[in-house]
This record gives sequence, C-alpha cells and structure tokens, in this order.
Amino acid sequence: MSTLRNLFKHHKLEMVMVLPLLLFILGFTLYPVLQCIFYSFQDPVSGAFPTLENYRVIVGNRKFGDALKNTILVTFIGLALEMSTGMVVALLLTTKSRFRGIFRAITMIPMGVPTIVSGVVMLYIFSSNGYLNEFLYRLGLIKLPIDWAQGGLRTLFMVAVADMWKVTPLVIILLLSGLESIPADVYEASAIDGASPAQHFFRITLPLIKPFFTIALILRAIDAFRIFELPMVLAGRNTMFLGTYAYSEYFDYNNIHASGAASTILLIVIALFVFGYILTVGSREVDQ
Amino acid sequence: MKTVKRMDLALVERTRNRKKFYRAFSRSMRVLFIALTIFFILAPILLLIKISVSAPQDILTQHPPFLIKNFTWSHWRKVLAAGHIWVPLWKSIVVATFVALSGIIIAAPGAYVISRLPRKIKYGVLLAIFSTRMFPEVGIALPISVTFVRWGLVDTNLGLILAHLIKVLPLMAWILTGTFDSIPKDLEQSAMVDGCDKVQALAKVVLPLSLTGIAAASILCWLESWNEFTYAVYLCLAESTLPIKTYYYVRRGNWFESAAYAVFLTIPVMVVTFVLQNFLRNDYLSGAIKY
Repeated sequence: MSTLRNLFKHHKLEMVMVLPLLLFILGFTLYPVLQCIFYSFQDPVSGAFPTLENYRVIVGNRKFGDALKNTILVTFIGLALEMSTGMVVALLLTTKSRFRGIFRAITMIPMGVPTIVSGVVMLYIFSSNGYLNEFLYRLGLIKLPIDWAQGGLRTLFMVAVADMWKVTPLVIILLLSGLESIPADVYEASAIDGASPAQHFFRITLPLIKPFFTIALILRAIDAFRIFELPMVLAGRNTMFLGTYAYSEYFDYNNIHASGAASTILLIVIALFVFGYILTVGSREVDQ
Repeated sequence: MKTVKRMDLALVERTRNRKKFYRAFSRSMRVLFIALTIFFILAPILLLIKISVSAPQDILTQHPPFLIKNFTWSHWRKVLAAGHIWVPLWKSIVVATFVALSGIIIAAPGAYVISRLPRKIKYGVLLAIFSTRMFPEVGIALPISVTFVRWGLVDTNLGLILAHLIKVLPLMAWILTGTFDSIPKDLEQSAMVDGCDKVQALAKVVLPLSLTGIAAASILCWLESWNEFTYAVYLCLAESTLPIKTYYYVRRGNWFESAAYAVFLTIPVMVVTFVLQNFLRNDYLSGAIKY
C-alpha cells in the first residue's frame, strides 16, 4: 500500500497524463461491453437479472442459427482464399524483378479503399445484371444470369470474395515481413543440398514463417467473425451474419436483449481468438 | 568407355534441357499469376469509375459492356447539383477532424507515459489497450446507442466523435507509444539537468521531436473516422455521414449515385494512403495497416 502511495507521490504528472486515456477506455469501451453482457442476461419483460431467457429465445430462432452457421462458413471460406492467395502473392513479391516495386504498390491499393466502397464495387460485380455474370455469359459458361445474393453457399462465396479483395493486402504484408526475415544463406544451403522447389517451400519457408502465418490467421479470423459492413451492403436481410443479426434485432425489432445476447456470443468467440493472439504475439515480443 | 561418355553427354544435355524448360515454365507461370492478381485488384476500381461516368443504357441492361461506350458527366453533375452531398460531406469532415484532434489530446500524454514504463509492463498495457479494438463493434455500439439516446447525443456530432474515439484511441496510443519509444530518455533528462522542470522538458524537447509521429497518427485516425461505418449506422438516424449516405443509396438501388459517392469517399483516402506509404516508416504502420 505504501509503495502505491509512493508511486502516486512521485509520478503525479504521469498519473494525470495517462488518466484521460484510461478513463475513456474504461467508460466508453469496457463499461459498454459489460452493459452489453448485462442486457443479454436481463429479462426483457420484468428486467430481472440474471436469466437465460434471451439466449433460449435466440437459439430457438432459425435466423440466429443461420447467422451463426453463415459466419462460421464465411470465416472458413474467406480464410482459405485469403491465406492461400496471400501466400502466393507474397512469394511472387519476393522474387527479384524490375517491376517488383510497381507490383507491390498495386497489391496494396485495396487497403486504401474504404470497406463500404469495396462493398459497393462488389455489388456491381455480383448483381444479377452485373459484370461477373456478363463475363461468364460471354465465356459461354452460363445462359441465364446467376442471382448471387439469393442465399446459400453462393452468397457466402460472394461475401468471402468481397472480403478477400479488401483484406488480402494485410495478409500479404504480414507474410512478406515473415519471408523477408528469412536469411538468404538458409536458401543457399538448401540449394546446395539439392532441394526441389516443393521441398524448399514445405521444409524451409513454411516452418520459418509459421509465427507470421499464425498471427495473420488469427487477426483475419477475428475480423472475419465480426464481418458487418460487407453483408450489410451485399447480402441485405436475406443472408444474415452474427453482426448483422445483432443489428437487425436492435433496429428492426427494438430488442436490445436479443441483440445483446447475439453480441455476447460473438464476444466470447472473439475473446478466444484474442487470447490466442496475445499468447502468440505476447510470447514473441517478450522474446525479442 | 567411349559409349559411356556419349551417354553421359546425352544425359547432361537432357537434364539441361529439362532445367531450361522448367525455368521457362515457372517464369511464364509467374507472369501469368502476376497479371491475374493485377487484373483482380484493378478491375473493380476501374468498374466503379466507369459506372460513375457511363450513360444509363450502358449499365441498366442485361448485358453491360465492359468498356465505356457512352461517356457522360451527367451523374456527377446531378449529384453535385442536387446538393445532398454537401451536408454529409461537411459532417464527415467535421467529425473526422475533431476525432483526430481530440484523439491526439487524449492519447499523446497517455502514450508517452506508457512508452516510459518498464518493458514487460509496457507490452502488457499496449496489448490490453489494442485488443479492445478487436471487440465486436456491434456489442459496443448497442449500449452506446442506448445510452446516447438517453443523453440526447444521437444525430449529433459530439456523439459520433465520442463513438469514433472508441475505435481510434487504441490505434493512436499504439502508434504514439512507438513514436515516443524512439526518443531517448537521456534527452529529457539532460534538459532537466539544465534546469527545465518536467513539463518544460516535455514541451520543449519531447513534443517537437515527436511531431512527425503525431502528424502521422492523426492523419491515420482522421481516415479511420472518415471511413467509419458501424458506429455511424447505429448513431446517425437523420443526419448521416458520407459512408452512411452511400449506404442509403445502395439500399435504394441507385447505382449512379452510389458510384459517385463511393468515388468521392475514396479519393482522399487513396491520396493520403499513397503519401503516407512513402512518408511513414514501416514500424509505425505495423499496428495500423487496416482501415
């Protein structure tokens, strides 16, 4: 206790300086999160606390089940697309060439496009009289336009591709920083030992960039699970995700308790991911 | 003996040919992949610009052409003349600017203190602050919206600024801690030996040295607020920001308006991102690369 008092005495200025930031985060981030969890356990009619009534209601709701299923599926599809494409492009960016600078700048462009705009753009591409249908039609692959927003796997695919366009640059940056951290003599040694390109990739590159790969994977999983803007623009009210379901419970039905319950479930999943992230990053940074 | 040698030569020749073929093959595959990637990245942006300058008969048809057939400025003229864009534009600018300014005022002193903490505690605090950015926004926006309705802050700039600060402050604290880390502690200590008190040392030594980092952080945060959608959709009912207005036109199925608004929204972001890419060191960006 006396050490704490000493701390206050000697570092008065520091305390005053850090206080606004801490108070804001406590009051406007942590407190709302607790409030949201509180809503989810509060009875909508009597206001009694705690009750599992809200969870029973939304778990029984088919829309919530669909939203949960869609969120998990779109995360898997999106991550598979993003990580594999990101890996290929990152590898392409490590090979020396005159045009590497330009190519790198181009791959970073989507990062500078606001998410809402990327949603708008994808809407033009995936709408039933959009450019993807026209492209497939001219190739002779389809006769009648496909309704991409109709629901089911094809809508999830559309959202995953739209998300991929926007966020793969982030994956590329992370993987590239991993690839660039591999010293050149490792490759020279393996080339002398006669490793084939496939062996090169699976035995040397992949194990060496594993920490970067894990970080990219977790960061992307967190963002993919919270996906909100793109489904709002692209999927409308037909195909819901956890984020848009929480939004719709609040705005369409004015039910803060159901919305809170959906958000709390989302929060729990994300907390698990964040925990994994902190374990990975935390251990790495303390090591350095 | 001779035949063996000839066979050897043939084998060498064959492997050499195979190697040559393999190299040519992998080279052309690489070029193909690069071309595909560039196409996949650029095509959507070109389409967006194309739609904003195409005549309706090119777009509202079952088989739209890929190139601009009938060029027109009429959508742009209509959007600018109708004047619905100015109010949201002004609101976006005001909110983003105040978010950036108040973000600096709140986050910079805190980030300085964090950067002077012992190593292990510092990383713990930073990770704790930064991980608040990973909370689901719908979970925070819901109670914020309920509270702001009670406080009368819905549809006000102040309410939106407060909400955007939730998202921006952790990012700012993260970047600025990096900035202050790069300023040696000895500098302020020698200033204090020379007779400055602590506040003077901060104002006269640390602050001028950290101005680049502060500028970079405030620009990034300005962009975050300019793009922000989730909190805005929870808090803007009548007076919307530019992203919400764009969303409104999307919902109404208005292709030309939404294209024009989307281009409008993108231009400052693109410009600033490219300027920043040359201007920023990589380590500033490490925590801040997503908008």
